[in-house]
Amino acid sequence: MTRSVRLAMGQALIEQRSFWRSAEYALFTFVFPLMILLLIGAANVGAVLPGTHIKNTTVFVPGILAFGVIVAAYVNLGSKVAVLRHDGVLKRIRTTPLPSAAYLGGLLVSTVATAILLAAGTGVVGWLAFGALPRPGGVLVLAAGLVLGIVCFASLGLAISSVITSAESAGPVTYASFLPIAIISGVFDPTFGGLPAWLSHLVDLFPVKSLAQVLQNAYAVRPFPAWDLVNLGLWTAAGAVFAVWRFRWHS
Amino acid sequence: MTDSGAVQVCDLRMSYGAKQVLRGVDFEVRYGEVFCLLGPNGAGKTTTLEILEGFRRPTGGTVRVLGLDPEAQAAKLRERAGMVLQECGFPRQARVAELINLWRTYYPNPRPLDDLLKVVELAEARDTQVRKLSVGQRRRLDFALALAGDPDLIFLDEPTTGFDPEARRRCWAAIENLRGLGKTVLLTTHYLDEAERLADRIAILRAGRIELAGTTQEVAALAGLATRISFTTPTALRRGRIPLPDGIDLAVCGSESVCHSGHPGMTLRLLLDWALEHRLGDLDGLAVTAPSLEDTYLQLTGTTAEPSFSQANGDRR
Repeated sequence: MTRSVRLAMGQALIEQRSFWRSAEYALFTFVFPLMILLLIGAANVGAVLPGTHIKNTTVFVPGILAFGVIVAAYVNLGSKVAVLRHDGVLKRIRTTPLPSAAYLGGLLVSTVATAILLAAGTGVVGWLAFGALPRPGGVLVLAAGLVLGIVCFASLGLAISSVITSAESAGPVTYASFLPIAIISGVFDPTFGGLPAWLSHLVDLFPVKSLAQVLQNAYAVRPFPAWDLVNLGLWTAAGAVFAVWRFRWHS
Repeated sequence: MTDSGAVQVCDLRMSYGAKQVLRGVDFEVRYGEVFCLLGPNGAGKTTTLEILEGFRRPTGGTVRVLGLDPEAQAAKLRERAGMVLQECGFPRQARVAELINLWRTYYPNPRPLDDLLKVVELAEARDTQVRKLSVGQRRRLDFALALAGDPDLIFLDEPTTGFDPEARRRCWAAIENLRGLGKTVLLTTHYLDEAERLADRIAILRAGRIELAGTTQEVAALAGLATRISFTTPTALRRGRIPLPDGIDLAVCGSESVCHSGHPGMTLRLLLDWALEHRLGDLDGLAVTAPSLEDTYLQLTGTTAEPSFSQANGDRR
């Protein structure tokens, strides 16, 4: 057991090293969400949600926080595992006595580290640039939302990696499968609305909006996101089951 | 089945659906030898290796690798056997020494890093990113990773396929180094020169069966191929002034006379007696050629040069 943990940590460490070594990859992962944060923030400074006293910043900063978690956990892990599989790296790992759990555990730990760093960066920039801070008592919800969000989207990332058919399509597939949903979930636009009722209900079923709403609850008082927490749990379970069912060591 | 071999394969059978890939394969690899599974593409070499590596469950027969059942005791086997698969990628951003060191953490008794770099001749490339290595260097890094746990046995699946002559030679040198370390090596190839150059013993696999097994010479002898004896046709013989030797099936082909014999010693004695009798002195241009692996292989597989074989012809001796 301790051996597996030690091996997993070693794996996580080398994953992190590789991540930061590939500068454009690391930069893109971090700069993209932060750039969106600053651009949207500039358009929303001082504004409040129509008919309320809730500041726009306390809605879109956690929205971008959700976006960052999804990029780090879902996009990065999903495309990474797909590339590892198609490059035959997973196959090579199978020739060694390294326990599968230690290897995958290492990938997950590295993913969690990246996601937490990105969330911290987003939170700090949101605070410094727009004065957005979690409400008193919201820190617990924030922590719970981040943990649940990372776990949920990492399991979905592992799941999607199994349906990606080539290393080249890994990036496009992972982005295209969540960006449209993120947009209609109002992640980028605090005043987003006007969807037909059926579409609005459909969006409620996806985990993107759920994660955004949980994190928004940490920043501004809103109804307790009970359904969103349940929904994230359901998607985590579904992702994990699919990932385990479809996981392959070779392409 | 005895317990002496590093690898023991007994009546191994494998079918994919209705297609029989292996139809009762038997062979044994002894400790410390380089054993080569030779055969044309599609003969079942990789399937055999994948069963021995514990990646596939055979349809029938028994295999023991280092005394273990490869499928049931896969984890144990992988601590003691290094595997170089036909094609396998590396993590894209890793550096050579870093990757080898990571691999070393996977094993209970790893070989020292410098040792590994030396065996595969990658010492100068230790800080190079893997994606910047040449094809040949990558293959040697494959070897280094397979050797990281100081295994007793190494599987190599077609180690030089698609390589240029220089890369092949360096790859061969690395395999020779493995032999020097006392490792048991089981390699597959469809290159005759590779088998001839590297292997202590060879098994020829064709259409899911072992046709022949043994040393290069044994294999040729088992195939019933005769030793070729030739000499420059003496003038007297060419002009018909002396008779052909008795008991020898000698063919006079212009300036060269040739015979084939399964008992070259006896044939030579007869031939030299005949030469003495007719005062031919030493036979000019006398050459005794043992049958080559190539002759054996071509006769067995019933082909003239295969495409895969002729590709590798560049540096045949």
